Amino acid sequence: MKVKIILSLFFTTVLFADISDENTCFDCHQLMDEDLEQNEKVFENILEDIHLQVGLSCTDCHGGNSKTDDEDEAMWDDPTFRGKISKIDQPEICGSCHSDPQYMRQFISSVKTDQVSQYWTSQHGKDLKKGVEKVAACTDCHGLHGIIKANDPRSKVYPLNLPTTCSSCHSDLEYMESFGIPTDQYYLYRSSIHGTSLLDEQHLSAPACNDCHGNHGALPPDVVHIGDICGSCHVNNNALFQKSHLNEIFLTRGIGQCEACHGNHGVKSPTDEYLNWEHGAVCVQCHQTGGLPKDLADYFYHSIDSLKGRIKLAQDLLHEAEQKGMEVSDLYFSVEESQKMLIQSRTNIHSFNKEFISKTAEAGFKSADQAIEGASAALFEFNDRRKWLFLSSLIITILATTVYFKIRDLDRRDLRKNKTKGEEDD
Amino acid sequence: MNKNKEKIPILENKTSRRNFIDFILGTALITWIATLVYPVLKFLVPPEDTIIYVNSVEAGTMTEFPPGSSKIIRFGRKPVIVIRKINGNFSALGATCTHLDCTVQFKTDTEQIWCACHNGLFDTKGKNISGPPPKPLPSYHVNLKDDKVIISLEDMV
Amino acid sequence: MSLWNWINERVDIKSAKNFAFKKKVPVFYGSIWYYLGGVSLFLFIIQVMTGILLILYYQPGSATAFESVKFIVSKVSYGWLIREVHAWSANLFVLFAFLHMFTVFFSKAYRKPREMTWYSGMILLVLALAFGFSGYLLPWNELAFFATKVGSDIAGAFPVVGDFLLRLLRAGDEVTGATLTRFYGIHIALLPAIFTMILGLHLALVQIQGMSIPPELERIPEKHRRYMPFFPDFAIRDALLWLIVLNIIALLAVFFPWELGTKADPLASAPAGIKPEWYFMFMFETLKLIPSHVMFIEGELFGVLLFTFGAIFWFLVPLLDRKAHRGERSRFWKVVGVVLILYMIMMTLWGYIQ
Repeated sequence: MKVKIILSLFFTTVLFADISDENTCFDCHQLMDEDLEQNEKVFENILEDIHLQVGLSCTDCHGGNSKTDDEDEAMWDDPTFRGKISKIDQPEICGSCHSDPQYMRQFISSVKTDQVSQYWTSQHGKDLKKGVEKVAACTDCHGLHGIIKANDPRSKVYPLNLPTTCSSCHSDLEYMESFGIPTDQYYLYRSSIHGTSLLDEQHLSAPACNDCHGNHGALPPDVVHIGDICGSCHVNNNALFQKSHLNEIFLTRGIGQCEACHGNHGVKSPTDEYLNWEHGAVCVQCHQTGGLPKDLADYFYHSIDSLKGRIKLAQDLLHEAEQKGMEVSDLYFSVEESQKMLIQSRTNIHSFNKEFISKTAEAGFKSADQAIEGASAALFEFNDRRKWLFLSSLIITILATTVYFKIRDLDRRDLRKNKTKGEEDD
Repeated sequence: MNKNKEKIPILENKTSRRNFIDFILGTALITWIATLVYPVLKFLVPPEDTIIYVNSVEAGTMTEFPPGSSKIIRFGRKPVIVIRKINGNFSALGATCTHLDCTVQFKTDTEQIWCACHNGLFDTKGKNISGPPPKPLPSYHVNLKDDKVIISLEDMV
Repeated sequence: MSLWNWINERVDIKSAKNFAFKKKVPVFYGSIWYYLGGVSLFLFIIQVMTGILLILYYQPGSATAFESVKFIVSKVSYGWLIREVHAWSANLFVLFAFLHMFTVFFSKAYRKPREMTWYSGMILLVLALAFGFSGYLLPWNELAFFATKVGSDIAGAFPVVGDFLLRLLRAGDEVTGATLTRFYGIHIALLPAIFTMILGLHLALVQIQGMSIPPELERIPEKHRRYMPFFPDFAIRDALLWLIVLNIIALLAVFFPWELGTKADPLASAPAGIKPEWYFMFMFETLKLIPSHVMFIEGELFGVLLFTFGAIFWFLVPLLDRKAHRGERSRFWKVVGVVLILYMIMMTLWGYIQ
């Protein structure tokens, strides 16, 4: 144990030798770190702290005097000394720099300084104002003494890490009990298409919690107007839906746009079965009786399903033609074109307008049919060539056989000529 | 001389058989020549161009089209001229002159489309306003998405 | 009045006909080999005809060559047929030329007075290989590109003139579109012109001197020798064989078509298992066997010199084979011929087994 203390003292003194010259806080508080809990240790990651790196130090947040060795002079008697900052004070203290555009500009020219004002509009902020200390404030998400920039992959608020950070409170049943809100968000999100895209495939463009809920101004979105949130990425789907006749109905009845059919945290990649009336189409949630809505859904499903089938047929035929050695690579452009139309048709569903879907579906069919025609022609040609080869071989064989007989005939004639010649000579 | 006469009946058989063989040979030969000549003649005739049905083509970014500029792009197998007028508006028209199929060009000073072959003139909407062209140029839709200029046949989305 | 008589009154074609009809072909156990020369000629004629047809659609140039061949094979009516016949006939042409050369060798037809026929024939064989090498690049696919690269690299291995030769061949330092243009000109203009002239000489010599018979048969007196008139007897047999060869080519064209391949990309790395065409394979494999240095000579240079001197040696066989000159059989030359054939066949097979 003694060896440990001596060694750690040695190393930390060596490491902090530089800073210790200018900063007397380190001298005592380093030693004190030993007795603290893991998550309260000050010097654990402090060298990486962005504030330290830009030249700030303990006194810039905590106040006090870092030039003197005397405890009273350094802390208690110093008028600027704040000591340990309480949660309720955090936003304003962090904001004293972070909300000052003039000050922040020296570090980042295109700086955001609305974090604190946003925070007070958030649920966390509102609750904190009411005195609820359980909610998240600045340090709960950004870290305490080892704050790293948000775009650094090691940061707690880096997109790949953010869901875990939020869920550290929001998935804790006991912790969240007093708030009366669900705690299944992370669980649902993790298996959603956004969750797997971000956390498994590392697509940084997939949304984490903050992309929909906001980060400093975190609030659940207005459910009924959720379309604009989803629409910030899924532009066409949102635009089409808001132009459709369903939009009014959803708004007046308080049904969430997008959410009603696709869900929120647990949103999965939609399949064409969402339109399949017999197999639990999403429309059935409201339209149990069928009628016109069912007709529309059936039309959509049928259009898309048959277009898919047509494309598959085109691909199969092209593949077969290629295997047989026929040159059909140009036709793959037609298949690509029809696949593009398929994707557009699926987007166009959100207009809930028959004519609109039929345009792209028709175009898709046209391209697919072009490919099918070309592939079929190639396959036909393949068989045709063998047929004609057989025929021409037949003609050649007949000709060759006739020539052969002619040869025999000529030979016989020659023989006789030689015989008669010989006889005459006799 | 007697010997020759005796041989005549046998000669006659041989002659008819020979004629038969010659006939088959001639017919087979002609048929064979036809099977050679036919593919060669078909080969010489140039094939029809197949048209790949294209719905939309990306013509470039907005920055590639300063006001008062134009560009000819390939739309499937046809040329299309994309114009950005001085006032900033886009226009896309088929670039094949309706007179005798020359490719047209955009005149920035008069903001008209001109065909160099026989002095045909069209306006930026494609209407034939002067010279021999009998019909207007077909028009295409211009969609502006983010920074991209996309030419399409119809307003798809 | 017949057309024949009309022309004959103006130009004496009757003598020419009489001369032609005098031609006779010796009949003995080895007569069958006489056909090989004719088949080679037939294949050459097919090449010229299909080649001319292909010229109507082919477009040389690194951006258009591959695409134009693709167009011919997929869009042009019977384009596939013309292309496949041209490709197969080319290979068969080289094969039959070699067979013809070897049968002539073993029957010692090169001896006096037919040395010039042998010399012109050897030149024709080399020209045939040149046709193959230049034509192979024209589809501008991956295999062709690299085969040309490797082949022209070897040309660069020649002492003194190597670099100049390489630049001359490639129309530059690397294989590019310029090489393609040059090879195209060589393939459709230069080589056909030279080939036709030398072929004319070769055929004229055969007509004037008549067919050769093996030395031992020369002892048989003239009136006991059996002959077959060329017109119509041998000619009609020739025609029958040509018909069968044509049918075989048609079968090959339909059932074993040549691939289009992938378009040549000068920046791409050579595909695994790259090898030259079969008629160059034996040389390729031999070069691979030679160590990097043989005494003081660099391996590649040694290989190139080996083949050059080998070719010159073979070319000069009429001069070197003194026994044939006297009308005698020579065991030595027979062995040389057999060893060479076996070597070529084995190295070719070896190249493909790997």
